[in-house]
Amino acid sequence: MEAFVKDYDKVIKKQRMLETNDPLDRLINIVNEAKDKIRADPSSVSASLTALGKTIKTVSSGISEEHKELQSALSKYSKAIDKRFTGDMIAAINPHAFDNKENILRNTIAMHFIRQGNFEIGDTFAKEAGLKLPESMRHKFMEMFEIVEALKVNSLEPALEWSTRHRRELEKRSSILEFKLHRQRYLQLLEASRKEDAIAYAKQNFGYFGTRHTQEIMRLMGCLLFFDRIKSSPYADLIAPNANADIQHMFTRDFCSLIGLSCESPLYISVTVGTQAMPTIIKMSSIMKAKKTEWSQQSELPVEINLTDDTKFHSIFACPVSKEQATDENPPMMMVCGHVICKESLVKLSRSVPNGRLKCPYCPTESMSSQAKNVYF
Amino acid sequence: MNKINHDQLLSLEHPFIKIPVEKFRSSLKTEQKHIEKEIAHLTNTVSEISKKSQHGIMDANQVQTALEAIVSRLSTLKRRLTETRAEESLYSQRTKVRLQHLQEFTAIPTLDSDEFGRWSRVRLNRILIDYMLREGFRETASYLAKSENMEDLVDIELFVQSAKIEQALNKYSCSECLQWCNENKSSLKKIKSTLEFSLREQEFIELARERRSQDAIAYAKKHLTPWQETHMKELSQVMALLAFPPDTKCQPYKRLYDKSRWRNIISQFRSNNFALQFFTPEPLLNVTLQAGLSALKTPMCYLPEHRNINCPVCDPHTLGLLATDLPLSHHFNSSIVCRISGQIMNEDNLPMALPNGYVYSYNALAQMASLNGGKITCPRTGAVFDIAQVKKVFIS
Repeated sequence: MEAFVKDYDKVIKKQRMLETNDPLDRLINIVNEAKDKIRADPSSVSASLTALGKTIKTVSSGISEEHKELQSALSKYSKAIDKRFTGDMIAAINPHAFDNKENILRNTIAMHFIRQGNFEIGDTFAKEAGLKLPESMRHKFMEMFEIVEALKVNSLEPALEWSTRHRRELEKRSSILEFKLHRQRYLQLLEASRKEDAIAYAKQNFGYFGTRHTQEIMRLMGCLLFFDRIKSSPYADLIAPNANADIQHMFTRDFCSLIGLSCESPLYISVTVGTQAMPTIIKMSSIMKAKKTEWSQQSELPVEINLTDDTKFHSIFACPVSKEQATDENPPMMMVCGHVICKESLVKLSRSVPNGRLKCPYCPTESMSSQAKNVYF
Repeated sequence: MNKINHDQLLSLEHPFIKIPVEKFRSSLKTEQKHIEKEIAHLTNTVSEISKKSQHGIMDANQVQTALEAIVSRLSTLKRRLTETRAEESLYSQRTKVRLQHLQEFTAIPTLDSDEFGRWSRVRLNRILIDYMLREGFRETASYLAKSENMEDLVDIELFVQSAKIEQALNKYSCSECLQWCNENKSSLKKIKSTLEFSLREQEFIELARERRSQDAIAYAKKHLTPWQETHMKELSQVMALLAFPPDTKCQPYKRLYDKSRWRNIISQFRSNNFALQFFTPEPLLNVTLQAGLSALKTPMCYLPEHRNINCPVCDPHTLGLLATDLPLSHHFNSSIVCRISGQIMNEDNLPMALPNGYVYSYNALAQMASLNGGKITCPRTGAVFDIAQVKKVFIS
C-alpha cells in the first residue's frame, strides 16, 4: 500500500501545480499584457501581436505538457491498481441464489441496524424499502441499549434491576450475570474507598449467591484485608482494567440469548466471514470455471474454508482415518483409549485383525471394537 | 489462524479504489479537451487579428476590442470548467481518503483485534450503502454515510443520474437514456454494448403500438438503419411489427410488444452503467453474503436439535432461508464446539465425555461442577453425573 500512496502523492502534486497555476489564467494574462502594451503604444500593434502569437505557442505547449504528465501519472497509477487489486468477485457469485428473497434480505438489514442501536437508520430503511419491523424487537433493543449506555458510565443499577427481574430465566441458562453485577458494584464501592458501604452491600446482596459462588465470595471478602492496596495484593486480579467492557459484553450476550437472538449481528458475521472466504472461493471458482462447472450449483464446497474460532458454531468431526465428515449413519466412536474415529473406519480396521482386538491407530492401546462407544459432540 | 492475509483481502477492493480514479481521469480528460480546443481557437483568432491589422483592416483600437473579446471568452470557459474542476478535486481527495483507509487496514495485525472489528464494521456499512444505492434506497444510503462520517468511502452521487434515467425508463421514456448513450459513446463501444440499439428498437415498437406506421418507418430509416450490418435479423423482425397489431398472438411479435421488454432495457442499462464506472455487476452484499453463508452452512443448521442461536444460518426465517440454495461448507479437519460454553475444545480446553457419550469442554464442566457441588447435568439429556466420572476424549 505504501507504494500506492507514494505514487498517488505524485499525482496530487502535479494536480496542485495545475490548480495553483491555472492554464486559463496564464492565457488570460498574456492576452491582457498584449492588450495593455497596444494601449500604451498603439504603434506596436503588429510587433505585439506577433509576440503574442509566439507566447501563446510556448505557453500552450507547456500547458499540454503538464496535462500530459498528470494524465500519464494517473493512468500509470490506475494500471498499477488493476495489477494489484485483482479479485474478480463476479466469478464467485450465483446471481439467482437470492431470487425472490429480496424481502428476507431487506428485513435482515433493517434488523441489523436495530440491533446496532441505529434505530433511526433502521426506521429510514424500513420506510424506504416498505418493510414493517416488529415493534416488540425494537422496544427490547431500546431497553438493551439504554442499559448498555448506563453500564458505559459505570452505572450498574439498570442492569441489576433487569437481571434481578429475569433471575429465573437467567439461572436456567446458567448465567452468572446477576452475581457478576453485584460483584462489580461491591468492587466499585471499595475502589471509591467506601469500605463501610461495601461491607453493607455485601451483607445485603451476597447471601443469595452463597451456595453457588462460595469461592468467589470468600475472595471478595478476603480482599478487605488489603483494602487500601488491593492493586499490590494477592487480590489484584479482582480489579481488572477491562472489567467494564467485559460486563457490557456479558450483559449484551445474556440479554440477546434471553430474547432468542445471537449476541453479534448475524449480518455482520456472515459478511465478515464472507470477505475472508472470498479469496479462496474466487480461486476455486476460476479453477471450476475452467472445468465448466459452477461452485454455486454444487451441494457442497469442494474446498475447506478456515473459520476463526469465534465463527465456528457447530462441531465438525472429520474422521482422522477416512477424512470423511461424521454423519448419523457413520457416527464418531470413542475407543477405550479415548481416541475417536468414525464407525466405518472402526469396522474396517477390526476386519483386518483376526482376534477382533484392534490397535488404536493413534496409540499402542488394543481393544475390542465392541468396546467403542458412540460419542455426541 | 487469526493472522490477517492483507494481500488477499485487499485484492477484493478493486472497485473501491478504482471508481474515484477513473472519475478523476475522465474529468481531467474533459477539461483538457476544452482547453485544447480553446487554445486552437485562440491561436487562430490571434493570427487572424494579426493578419487583419497588417492589412490595415483593423486599427489598434479594434485590435484591443478583439483581444478583450478573447479574454472574456477565456473567462467564460473558466467559469464553465468550475464544475469539472470541483469534480477533479472531489475524486482526487476521495482517492486519497480511500488509500488511507486501506493503509489503516494493512496495519491491523489480527482478526480478533478491536481494530479489525472497527474496520470490518465500516466495510459492512460500505457494502450496505452499495446495496441501498443499487436498490434505489438513496435516502437511507445518504443518511448512513453522513451519520457514520464515511461520505468519501461511498459513491452516492454516481447514482443520482442513473436513478433519473431508470425512472424515465420506468415511465417508458428512452430519451434520457439515449442521451446518456451519446455522452458515453466511445466507452460503450469498447464494451460492445447494444443498449442504444435496444432503445431505438423500443422507440420504434412504441410507434408501431400506436399504429403510426409512417412515423415508424421514418424513425426506422433514421435510427435503425445504422445498425443494419450487425443487427439485420432483429431489424427485419421489428419492421414486420407494422403488419401485426399490438394484440397479436403471433410470436415473436407478441413478445416484442410485451411491456416487460422495458425491464430488460433497465437491466441492460444498469449492467452497462456499472461496467463503465467499474462497479461490480452484482451488489457487493450479495457476493460477500453468499460466500459467508456457504462457509458457515452445515447440515446441522437445519436440524432443530443442533440449532445454535449464534449461528447466522441457523435462523430458519432470515439468513437460513437465504442460504437454502447455497452449497454447504466442507471440512477435512475436526473442530469441536462446546454445547455449553460455545468455546472451541482443544489442548487448552479438553473435550470430556460423560458416561452417556455426550462431549463437553473441560472448562464448562468444571465451572458447572464448582457451582453445583461437583455434580454435572447433561444439558441435552438431563442425566446427572459426578465430575469424577468424565473421561478425556482425544480428537486428532
